[in-house]
Parts: sequence; structure tokens; C-alpha cells
Amino acid sequence: MCLAAQSGLSASIGPLEQGKALFRSNCAFCHGLDGRGGRGPNLVSAPRTHGESDEAVKNVIRKGVPGSTMPAFSTLEPDELDALVLFVHVLHTGASGTETAAGDPADGRKVYESSGCPSCHRIGLKGSAFGPDLTRIGASRSLEYLKQSITDPSADIPPEYAGVAVVTKNGQRIAGVRINEDTFTIQIRDQSQQFRNFEKSELQSETEMKQSLMPPYKLPQQKLENLLAYLASLKGEAPVTGPVKQTEGIR
Amino acid sequence: MKRTFLVLLAAAFVLPAQVTYDRLVNAQKEPQNWLTYWGDYSAIRYRALDRINTSNAKNLRLDWMFQTGQAGNFETVPLVVDGVMYFTAQGAQAYALDARSGRQLWHYSYPMPDNIKLCCGTVNRGLAMLGDRLYMVTPHAHLIALDRRDGTLIWDSEIAPAEKQYGATIAPLAVKDKIIVGVSGGEFGIRGLIDAFDAKTGKRAWRFWTIPSKDQPGGDTWLADSWKRGGGPTWMTGTFDPQLNLLYWGVGNPGPDLYGGDRLGDNLYSCSLVVLDPDTGKLKWYFQFTPHDVHDWDAEETPMLLNIKFRGQDRKVVVQANRNGFFYVLDRQTGEFLMAKPFARQTWAKQIDDKGRPVLANGGVPTPNGTRVCPGLAGAANWMAPSYNPETGWFYFPVREQCDIYYSLPPAYQEGKPYWGSVFRGATDEQEYGFLKALDPATGETKWDFRYQHAPWAGTMATSGGLIFAGDQDGYLMAFDSKTGKNLWHIYTGAPIVTAPITYLVNGKQYVSLASGAALMTFALP
Repeated sequence: MCLAAQSGLSASIGPLEQGKALFRSNCAFCHGLDGRGGRGPNLVSAPRTHGESDEAVKNVIRKGVPGSTMPAFSTLEPDELDALVLFVHVLHTGASGTETAAGDPADGRKVYESSGCPSCHRIGLKGSAFGPDLTRIGASRSLEYLKQSITDPSADIPPEYAGVAVVTKNGQRIAGVRINEDTFTIQIRDQSQQFRNFEKSELQSETEMKQSLMPPYKLPQQKLENLLAYLASLKGEAPVTGPVKQTEGIR
Repeated sequence: MKRTFLVLLAAAFVLPAQVTYDRLVNAQKEPQNWLTYWGDYSAIRYRALDRINTSNAKNLRLDWMFQTGQAGNFETVPLVVDGVMYFTAQGAQAYALDARSGRQLWHYSYPMPDNIKLCCGTVNRGLAMLGDRLYMVTPHAHLIALDRRDGTLIWDSEIAPAEKQYGATIAPLAVKDKIIVGVSGGEFGIRGLIDAFDAKTGKRAWRFWTIPSKDQPGGDTWLADSWKRGGGPTWMTGTFDPQLNLLYWGVGNPGPDLYGGDRLGDNLYSCSLVVLDPDTGKLKWYFQFTPHDVHDWDAEETPMLLNIKFRGQDRKVVVQANRNGFFYVLDRQTGEFLMAKPFARQTWAKQIDDKGRPVLANGGVPTPNGTRVCPGLAGAANWMAPSYNPETGWFYFPVREQCDIYYSLPPAYQEGKPYWGSVFRGATDEQEYGFLKALDPATGETKWDFRYQHAPWAGTMATSGGLIFAGDQDGYLMAFDSKTGKNLWHIYTGAPIVTAPITYLVNGKQYVSLASGAALMTFALP
């Protein structure tokens, strides 16, 4: 057995079908079964920020995108990579138009700042490390996903931002983002961005929060459109270098 | 001065210098040593040592630590023989240390050829020792013999060609005058095998193909010529009953792993226990846990040999907590199926029938669109060592609670290329978790369990101090009360634990050793 490999699909079927199968099992979790995005960008209609050529797309798949959650799929065989790129191209050319935000990004920035977003989020080095980094959120999420994240943030909570609440034996309640947890300890980042570290033997309870730590925002339609346009314009370089690795398995 | 020299010389003569076959048979009578990968031939991983016990385990602390500097999963289990520790590390390294201080006595590094594509990484699980020699495999599927006195290479024999994607990660097993090994490569369309080599000369003594050819018994369980790339790797050390003269060895998955359409049939002897005559390699009997497997559920889990009272009768049994989620009990002389009980969540079988064959549930087979099945591909159990405490009569083992989405598509076979038949993905609707579980092997009943935050990849060890030692995926080495499951001690080692601890005694002091990260860590009481 080998848990690291996610490839090995030298299929006795056509390359387009092979590409579709590879997409379904490797990519659809983030990009959606139809490629219209989710936790990853919309591949049908979003602009290709890393280039259009076969080689550019292969590079993204092989090496991942530093500063994003796109991992490196380095174990794919060359023929599999060819098939996958072929399918990704077909997805993209199947689009009726490119995805664009209609609002005013300049006003959206004001909405962002006046709505308290920087108290939890960060753009570049400005803002808080409590919630997801938005430096390049416009390149990594579809508009639809961004809209849902603002109006109904509990609809999809990335596991790395799952909320947890603990109550210590002396009755103190601390809620925040679970940074790490094992059988005996838990590490939490609270909203003041402090690490709160506990031995589980010091706790009387630990509760998974079903709701997102982010409250749902009910903005006027135009303000929402403007905020979305601002977020969609955020395509900056994230401060992470080097390839992103997939989680390694064990032999 | 002269007198001191003579006294030392006399002491050297009374030390049993060589590890004879007789010592291996009686390994449990030398609790101060750890003479085989499993600690003995039966693989109970129990030691009658109680200096560390339920009342003082809380005082355990690091005694010494040896750094190998080798990257990757450190899966070795050391041998300890008369105060000297021998172990392997990734990429065919072997070390000898002073077992009291951790100071190095020698280090051997096999010169791996350049430009060789390894099927299965550089993991190595440990050594066998016989006479004055140590035996280890290399990542490119060689078996080598080293002089235990200084690590000199004595012979080097190819098990199977690495160019055909055979590899080796296993700790060899020494039986009489032979060294027995298996191979890795089940994801690459190999034809699996178990080999015995003459311990003295390095010449092959016999070979057992785990996938029969068309004209052999079992050959008709493979469609057309699919047997030729049928998999059936043998990457974990077997067990041995000296009285019955039978060798017990687990066989891995059929290939391609997740697509069975081109290999219709039961696909013997994949996912089976094969029982061989260790002198000739002839098959005595077999039991297939998962006929026509499509989930990569190797039967590489430890085939532990126990003597228990089963339904009122004294029975010699072989037990296995299988990757497919069921705990099996078989008569180890005849192969008679005695019992199978689920020990984890499983969604693929309605039940195991009275012959030991699974009755399949609907919706348990991989499909092009993905099928959610428990256990996941890594299994509810895997190669991580279980243990057994004769005083409680219970079986202690790590359990993985994790499900996968299994995809399936017909693959085309290309020599040297992965041959999976599509892929798997972790189910995302829940977090994985795990247990350390104590189970009555006579009934399959859980006596206690201790929940782990993450599904474990580490094994266990039992002692007469009333303790079970275990590791977890977060990097803790832990000690538990074997009767109650109470956690008595834990220490964070800083890396996921992917092997099992051992214990030994030198000059009256008991030690517990474990590989973690790039370090061999040894713990003792102050």
C-alpha cells in the first residue's frame, strides 16, 4: 500500500475521460464537480491568473500555488498531467463569458474597512491573523463563494478556521480558532490574536462550534456588490514562498 | 591489573555471544533482550519485566537519545542482545549502540545505486539476527548479511529486480538456518513472493509465489492472465510456530488496487494468511480474509500466535485484527475458521459467514463517481504491532476510525508504473480519530478503549508491570494500565510515531525504547 500517491491512473480510456476522472478525484473537492469553484477558484469563467498555456497550467498543478491552499500534485504521471490539463482547458472554453464583479471596488474598500473586517482578516501585513488571509482572495475564490462567505459564513467553514470553545475547571470560557489539538492538549487563537494553550486535564468541557466564528453580514445590495468587487480585486502575492505540499502518507 | 583482565576475560566467556536458533525459540525466557522484530516468534510483544510498573510509570523520563539524521519515516524496531542495541534507519542504514548510554559502536551505510527508481520509498523496519550476523533488506529489494561485531558486509543477494518495481521495507525473520523475507510493490503490478535465503551463503533456498500461475491451484481465481501482475506483496514480517513447524505470513492487496473488473475471481492468495513449511516453502493451508479486494486491504497485519481457551477448549490459534475491520480467530494447525468480529466501523460487509467469507453489503465497491466506504484505504488496523498480555488474556491494538471515498476506473498496465485503478480521498464529512483498544481474543469483546485525537500509525507493547505502551499520530509515547486502560504517563516526542516501543534490561535497569522523528529515544526511571 502507499498512501502518498494520488495518481496511478494510466487508464485504458480516452485522455479526455481520463482527465475528467482525474479532475473528479483530485480537484473537484475544491473546484467543484463542474469546475465552477468552491473552496478553490472557478475554473470555468474566472481569468487565468497564472497563464493560459499548457505549461503554465501544468506548473500550477505540479507545484501548487504558494500562499494559497492549492497543493502540489507532484505524483501525477506525465500522461495524467496531459489529460488533466486537456480537461481543464475544455472546462474553461466551455464558459459563456468571464466572471466579473459589477460593483465599485473603491467603495468596496470603504465598506471593508467600516464594517470591521480588518479586525479579523488580513490583507498583506495589515489587519488581524484571526480569520482567513484575504491578500489574494480574489484569485482563489469565485464570486459566488465570496458572496456566500459574507452573507452565510456557516455554509462552508474551512477546517483550519473551525471554532472551538473550551471551559476551564475554574469556569472560564475561551472561544477561538483551533490552531492545533492532540489527545492531551489543545491550542486556540482567540479573537485578540493571543494563543491560548491548555492541557485537556485542565478543562471541564470542549465544544465544537457548529456556526462560523464570523457573523453573517446583511449589507445593502449595492454595498455588498461593492465589497465583492473589492475582494475580487485582491490578487496580491502572499508572503509564502516555495511549493505547497500535499499531506504525505505513510507506507 | 592482570587480575582485573582475567576477571573480565572470564566474564566475556560466560556471556552468550551468539543468537542461536534455540535462543530465538526461547526468546520469552530472556526478557532482558529483544531478539526478533516482534520480540519472539509468536509476536505477542510481551516482556516479563516489571521494574517499570503501574505504580512508578509516572516517573519515566528520557534516559538517552540517539540522532540518526535520516529524513523520512523512522519505522525501525531495535533488537537488544546482551547490552547492545542494533537497529536500522531509512535508506539501508544499520547501527549498533551501547544499550545503556546510546553511544555508537558502529554504523553501516549500504551504497545504494544511483538512478534507480524505488517503488516504495526508503523505509526500513528492522533486523533479524542469527549467530554472529545481522540481516536487513534494502529499498531496492536486496537482502544483506552484516557482521554484528563491526557491521562488515558479508553477502548481498537480490530478492527481486527493482527495475520491475519490487522493493523491500521488511524486517527479515530468521528460522533455523534460513532468513525469510517478503517484498513491497503491490501498487505496481508485481507478482508477490516470499523468499528464504540460506543464512550462511546468501543463496536462495526456496520461493513461494503469493499469486499462483494459471496451472497451479488457485490459478483459476484470476481472469485471463491478470495473475501475472496480480500484486500480493508481503511487506510485513511473519510469525512462526516451532512446535508445529509452520510459518504464518500475511499477503497484501491484488492489483490493480481499486478496480477489479479485469481480475474477476477471488484472486488468491491476495489479502490472505498463507501458512508455509519453513523448510521447503510449500503451502500447508491458507485463509483469505477479503476475497477479490478492491480497497487495498492488505492482510499484512500481525498474525499473532496465541494459546487460549476458546468456547471452553484449549486451542492453538492465530489471530489477526484485519485491515478490513474484522478481528479473526483461526485454528493455527488446521486453518479452521473459528470467529470474526468487527472491531471498528465498517460499511462493506453485512456479516462474515460461518466459513469466514464476507457477505457483501450494497454500495461498498469503488465507482467512477466515488463511493464512501468505511474503513478507509488505510484500514481499521494496519501493520502497526498489537500486543498480548498473558496475565489479562487480552489483545491490545491501535484502531483507525476513518472512511474514504473510493474511485474506480480501468487502468492500463505499464511495467514500472503505478497500477492503482484510480484513487481514493479521505471522507471530509468527519474528522478521523482512533483508539487504543483492549479486546478479549476468545470473544472479540472490547474490554476497554482509549480514544486518540487522530487515527494512529503506531504499535503497542505489553509488560508484566501491568503496562501497555503505545504511540500515537500526534507524537506521544504513552503508558496505560493494562487492566483499566487508564493513561498513567505520556511524553511528547515531537514527531508522529510510526513504529512500536520495545523494553529491555541492562544491569538490572529496565529501559523502554522507541524511534520517533530522526531519534531513537530511550526512557527509564530516575
